[in-house]
Amino acid sequence: MATKAPEQTLFVRKASGLVKGWSSGDGFRYSFFSVNLFLAFWSMAYACFITDGSLFWSIVITAAFMVVEIVVYAGLISAMPRAGGDYVWLTRIFHSSIGFIVAAVGWWFILWLWTPIYADMGVQTTIKPIFRILGLNGAADFLSKPAGIFVASMVVIAIASVLVAIGMKTYAKLQKYFMYIGLAAIVVLGILLVISSSQNFKEKFNGAAVKYYGDTAQGGSLKESKLDLTKYKTDENGLFATDADGNYVADGTHATAWESIQAIGSGTGMPSSAFTGTLKGTLWLIPLMLFWMAWPNWGATLYGEVRGAKDFRKNIYQMAGGLFLPTAVVLIFLFLMNWKVGYQSWLGTYAAYWWGISPLGGDSISPTAMVSFLLPNSALQIVLIGAASLILFGWFGTLFLSSTRMIFAAAFDRILPEWAARVSSGGVPYNALILLMTIPSIIIASLYAGWPISWTNATSGVTWIKEISYDATLGIVIMFFFCGLAFMVMKWRARSVWESSSLPKTGIAGIPWMSILAAIYAVFMGWNIYMFIWDPLGAYAVGYKNKASFIFMLSLYGTAAVIWVISYFVRKHQGMALEAVAKEIPVE
Amino acid sequence: MTVRLFFATDVHGSEACWRKFINSGKHYEADVLILGGDMTGKAVVPIIDNGGGKYTFHLQDVKRDIDGADALAADQRAIRDHGYYPVVMTADERNEFTSDPDKLDELFHSQMRRGVEEWVAWADERLVGAGMRCIVCPGNDDRADIDEILATSSQLELGEGNVIDLPEGYQLASSGWTNLTPWDTAREEDEPLLKARIEGIVAQATASPDRLVFGLHAPPYDTQLDVAPKIDWDTLTVKGQDEAHVGSTAVKEVIEEVQPILSLHGHIHESRAAVRIGRTLAINPGSSYVEGTLSGCVVELDGKKKLKRYRLTMG
Repeated sequence: MATKAPEQTLFVRKASGLVKGWSSGDGFRYSFFSVNLFLAFWSMAYACFITDGSLFWSIVITAAFMVVEIVVYAGLISAMPRAGGDYVWLTRIFHSSIGFIVAAVGWWFILWLWTPIYADMGVQTTIKPIFRILGLNGAADFLSKPAGIFVASMVVIAIASVLVAIGMKTYAKLQKYFMYIGLAAIVVLGILLVISSSQNFKEKFNGAAVKYYGDTAQGGSLKESKLDLTKYKTDENGLFATDADGNYVADGTHATAWESIQAIGSGTGMPSSAFTGTLKGTLWLIPLMLFWMAWPNWGATLYGEVRGAKDFRKNIYQMAGGLFLPTAVVLIFLFLMNWKVGYQSWLGTYAAYWWGISPLGGDSISPTAMVSFLLPNSALQIVLIGAASLILFGWFGTLFLSSTRMIFAAAFDRILPEWAARVSSGGVPYNALILLMTIPSIIIASLYAGWPISWTNATSGVTWIKEISYDATLGIVIMFFFCGLAFMVMKWRARSVWESSSLPKTGIAGIPWMSILAAIYAVFMGWNIYMFIWDPLGAYAVGYKNKASFIFMLSLYGTAAVIWVISYFVRKHQGMALEAVAKEIPVE
Repeated sequence: MTVRLFFATDVHGSEACWRKFINSGKHYEADVLILGGDMTGKAVVPIIDNGGGKYTFHLQDVKRDIDGADALAADQRAIRDHGYYPVVMTADERNEFTSDPDKLDELFHSQMRRGVEEWVAWADERLVGAGMRCIVCPGNDDRADIDEILATSSQLELGEGNVIDLPEGYQLASSGWTNLTPWDTAREEDEPLLKARIEGIVAQATASPDRLVFGLHAPPYDTQLDVAPKIDWDTLTVKGQDEAHVGSTAVKEVIEEVQPILSLHGHIHESRAAVRIGRTLAINPGSSYVEGTLSGCVVELDGKKKLKRYRLTMG
């Protein structure tokens, strides 16, 4: 039977330009790295600050809202695929000033904070465990000191700068290999958990504790581990459970390191399972989960450089893939840890670190390192920890990559001077990279490291890294909230863009479904902002109750506002109207 | 006294972008508007007449149904804003165009001519008494007879092959011709011929280099203005995310030799950037016509030896 030729729906003549194709894989991988598995491990460490929530269900609920985020951002990207992303959308849909102030904090200033975050995560999850296994305890201890943290931050800046300098294309290739190797390592970790018994895990953990950490842990020996929680600070809400006489239940002498961990876990009053918890506690975990789950759209500032970015559905598929794969991996990992390690005990390892009561000394006990201890020799453990860490290190390039695009876009609009957008012949944005990202990041890293001021005194009851982590999250979440609002009103505020887009235009009562989804997203993000700022449990450490954080965040917005106002008057003097640059030219 | 130019390029049949271009003078308070080429569209959208006032067409891979004359007019306008030519036809006629390349070519030709004629009429009406000048130069994708239509305008000035006097003693030397492309377009030639063509145009200029502006559709080779997806010339397909410099060596050489104060380019939509080549500021504002957004640049010619005041726009 003859086949019927497909009906022609578009006639194209010979003219320069392309019916463009592109690699969805690159976009998927960028999202996958942004919803980073190591950020997930880091976020779950904060779950011990909210003792009655279900971690599993908080992740599932957050993932559902992140699907809405993906639709909103896929829509914004396909309607206006521009380098600069959020900055461009907000300036065009609202106003030059709003767009600049919100996006400068979200994609520029706040990224300075991610330098010490990346550094701390790299050190705690990978470098220190490897150093301990190698017996390089002096080097590991150095990395816990201010100078060590500063050095680690400088290494992060160097890696991030190199990854920006090699360009997006080469970076995408690197990410491909890093993802394959990293995921293979994560699969091996999962298999190790499946084939090992809980008893075997405890024995291996205790063996590693003595072998690798014995010299530095309490009393120099881990055969007995004595906990005295009264010596350590607790947070304002009395996280550690007490008995009828007011004594901490975790106190006492424990036979092994793992028993200490178990005592800490149960002492915090954590649920016994990741699958149980109150609804309220589960909802309160959601802002903490945003630290790793809110970023499938992290590449939004780059889509202007990606061929085929106008394809709404493709944008959704690649970002959804970047969300679902790590989320599935984390949920499986959570199930396995719950099963083989015990949920309370696992979170006990985190609680032990945050309150400085770890039987392994001051080190965090990374899940990847902890599971790698199941392997029979040190070399294999190092290979596995290192291979898994490629998922973290492959992500370092995002530290500056998105920021430079926002800076470019603002320079093109002349809010920032022309020199901010200069690139070398090889396409390296050297001014944006050095003056506007690297140098401020070095300053922030030095402050974080405690030099020259000991900032730990400025916080109370929480660790500095937590405050930094959620300041860094809040600044971006506020920007996402505004982008949700922007997409909600796009039909009315940027009519020609809306009409020219391939977005579905159907709706109800004249309101497009896209606008309704955007409204849902904005409400969700608005609720998270409320939770961060009012912080009813004192769990997020960045709200108005934490003056240092609050003043810091306000100062960022104030700085962005001052830059815009100065630019406005300078350009006005030069005969340029900043707001006209961002306004749409009338069609009629 | 400062002369403010607004330059845009590669609107490729987008009616929204053309109208924005004509309206941009007021928006950006420009003295002179310059369009840098590629006015005409690349695609025809067949709107199938199903009878009884019902029609069907596809846009961006989405099937749309039309019911009634008002809806038809609105969708035709949306298609034109997108840069495509909407043509109502029967299913049989569509099949004829599919099987007969010559007939399809004639359809394109007539649509392009008609489109430019309508644009010229709209611009003539809008620009009367507006107090600004508007110079339009076709590009490599525009067939030769487009120039004749532009020449009939009472308000538009034809750039192709000409040196046009601008206010304050500045001059604009324009050409829409480019180096060879894989698409064998209407105005392209190899580099030696292109260089001779540009040199011939520039030779007409009487202004000194610091009062001379180039409006050359092709961007200079090996700059940030000419980076495009790398494609296979035989299959016309993109190979991954690889990129290549595709600008003109002839344009680059003439800029280096003459050193005009400003050189305006287009052609490569993705390469929105500004670079300096010696004393020359070279700009490609790129194109985002498919979005209905007009990419452009505002440049202020202030009489100084080095041009500093410019900004890229998206309106």
